[in-house]
Amino acid sequence: MKKLDAILEQHQVIVCAGSGGVGKTTTAAAIALYGAQRGARTVVLTIDPARRLADALGLHGAGREMGGDERAIPLQGTGSLTALMLDQKGAWDALVDRHAPSPEVRDRILANRFYQHLSQSFAGSQEYMAIEQLCELHDSGRYDLIVVDTPPTQHALDFLEAPQRIADFLDKNVVKWFVKPYFSAGWATLRFFNRTVGVVFRKLEEATGVAALAEVSDFFASMGGLFEGFEVRVRRVYRLLRARQTAFVLIASPEEQVLREAEYFCGMVAELRMSLRAVVFNRVHTEYTGRLRGVNRERIEALLTRAGGQTAVAALADNFLRFEEEARGDMVRMESFRRQLGKTVAVAQVPNFDADLHDMQGLAQMHRYLFAGAA
Amino acid sequence: MITELFDRRLLVVAGKGGVGKTTIACALALEAARVGKRTVVAEVDGSGRAAALLGAEPLAIGESRELRPNLHVLAVDGKASLQEYLGMIIPIKRLLDAVFTSRIYNYFVAAAPGLKELMTIGKIWYEAERVDDTSGERRWDLVILDAPATGHSVQYLRMPQAAHDAFGAGLVARESQRVVDLLTDPQRTAINLVTTAEEMPVNETIEMHRQLCDELHLPPGFLFLNRLHRVEFERADVERVEAGLASIRQREDRALLQEVLRRAREELGWSEINASYRRRLQNEIAMPLVEIPHLFAEEFGVDQVRQIAGCMAREPMSLGARKGGA
Repeated sequence: MKKLDAILEQHQVIVCAGSGGVGKTTTAAAIALYGAQRGARTVVLTIDPARRLADALGLHGAGREMGGDERAIPLQGTGSLTALMLDQKGAWDALVDRHAPSPEVRDRILANRFYQHLSQSFAGSQEYMAIEQLCELHDSGRYDLIVVDTPPTQHALDFLEAPQRIADFLDKNVVKWFVKPYFSAGWATLRFFNRTVGVVFRKLEEATGVAALAEVSDFFASMGGLFEGFEVRVRRVYRLLRARQTAFVLIASPEEQVLREAEYFCGMVAELRMSLRAVVFNRVHTEYTGRLRGVNRERIEALLTRAGGQTAVAALADNFLRFEEEARGDMVRMESFRRQLGKTVAVAQVPNFDADLHDMQGLAQMHRYLFAGAA
Repeated sequence: MITELFDRRLLVVAGKGGVGKTTIACALALEAARVGKRTVVAEVDGSGRAAALLGAEPLAIGESRELRPNLHVLAVDGKASLQEYLGMIIPIKRLLDAVFTSRIYNYFVAAAPGLKELMTIGKIWYEAERVDDTSGERRWDLVILDAPATGHSVQYLRMPQAAHDAFGAGLVARESQRVVDLLTDPQRTAINLVTTAEEMPVNETIEMHRQLCDELHLPPGFLFLNRLHRVEFERADVERVEAGLASIRQREDRALLQEVLRRAREELGWSEINASYRRRLQNEIAMPLVEIPHLFAEEFGVDQVRQIAGCMAREPMSLGARKGGA
């Protein structure tokens, strides 16, 4: 089976995608650590690591925030590993800070309720910011290898669609409409064309009590030219995601729901002309007796007894047989998933370890399953 | 007993992504339907998971479907709920159609902070309190909400109070207050949390419990500890066989035995991890625990959900018997 070695050699950007709860963060960290150990100046952009992993990656204190100090974790040899945590709000604020024409305008934007909604909870906002930061890291030229962990969305696809969704949202025609001197101009037009529709909107505003449209208008008026260039930014983002040096790695587990989602994701990646180069299955149970004939409960219990087992012989045999059953299901599901993958897609299986992996040693433990060079 | 829950009207099932919320929500629904409650499972954000797990075809947005006697699934969507709501307050269809297709309306819906969440939870409230026009009876005995992953759940459940605080005395403020009343009423609502006994999910669960129960004052129900590994053997049993491994001469036999031992250690490892996080949960969260064993199965489907419903029915824990505490 092809593992991920070649992918590290041939690509500068590795995007780890997948649905929630499949071990994306840990896998991204493990890939980054391996690259760094092999001599690459590596950065991992991570989202929400477990505390122990965050500690291991040096993500507490100053380095925790984007734009704060980037502290490389010392390694032997020429490589280095830097971990950055995505701070969505901070990243939006930085964007505003950079583009606002004056401190007064900046403060006005930061206090705008619509801005706060957009930067904190607009669907796709976090994903978009992860990609923005990826672009910045890429442009900085400071790293040989950039590994991106993607936000914990229910659907892996959200990550791919986010830039377009933000672009549609900030569409310049809509924005222009809002930026009209008083947005009442907009109201007036609307009322002129359709009196009743205008009435409904006013009712809607009264009912919700949010002066939503006024806030939106104020926001866009304040932001001035920033969003004029937004289309361009989004195009640049997609260009990097499609570039030859960028590889997608899909992280999955052998569960039915996860695989169904993964299948859809693979199709979408292809449709968007991005390149899926590997699939990593985490928490896989591998079948054993599939390779042996005549393994049954009697034989296992007899063996256990012969080796000196006294109590719990039946329980131990049971445990083994249950794992085998689960493993059989895992194998069948993974196999049928793999059959749909192209030949160029590497597949790695990481077993279900008997401990949580949350430190450097744990990450290193994953390496021999991910990379042939580490076996 | 778990059946205490079924006297409420709304059961929220929340937790981190990937811990089995939908499974627990569906198992609760099967059990409630079995004991005769007219039950509806509400899934949000077009997840489609509950329908799939109960073996049904995906629902259309806003669709509700009967899967078996007493058991419906309902796909709730914020935007669709807003249109339904507007349809009730502005009953002129042609006018509404003009509004719904206009670009600015769609923009408004996307842009208004929290509107989608408010409408979603409002729809849940509506279903929980809904009375049939003709019979005068309540439409459902029990609404079970398969909530989205943590952060998002908190946003949903926070919204009615936020709307009430923000909007002062308007129509929405009054409606929001009714939703808040339902959500905070321990007679009618229970917030149930689902987690696995592992580091990340447990951290998130403790945080979510703080936000939902301590800050928003939502009434706690049960804490479901899902996929628990519980061994029926001890480390000493494994070590004894390990010591005797050398006496097995035949290569294939020895390889097989090694594999049996490896699986035993794996299970021991997980059950120790589970036990330690279970203790942590009990120390930090004052909610009665329901333990759901890890089910070894080739495929996870409606049979497994039924099996879990069976585990729930046998759980002796009671909402009155508070364990742990800060």
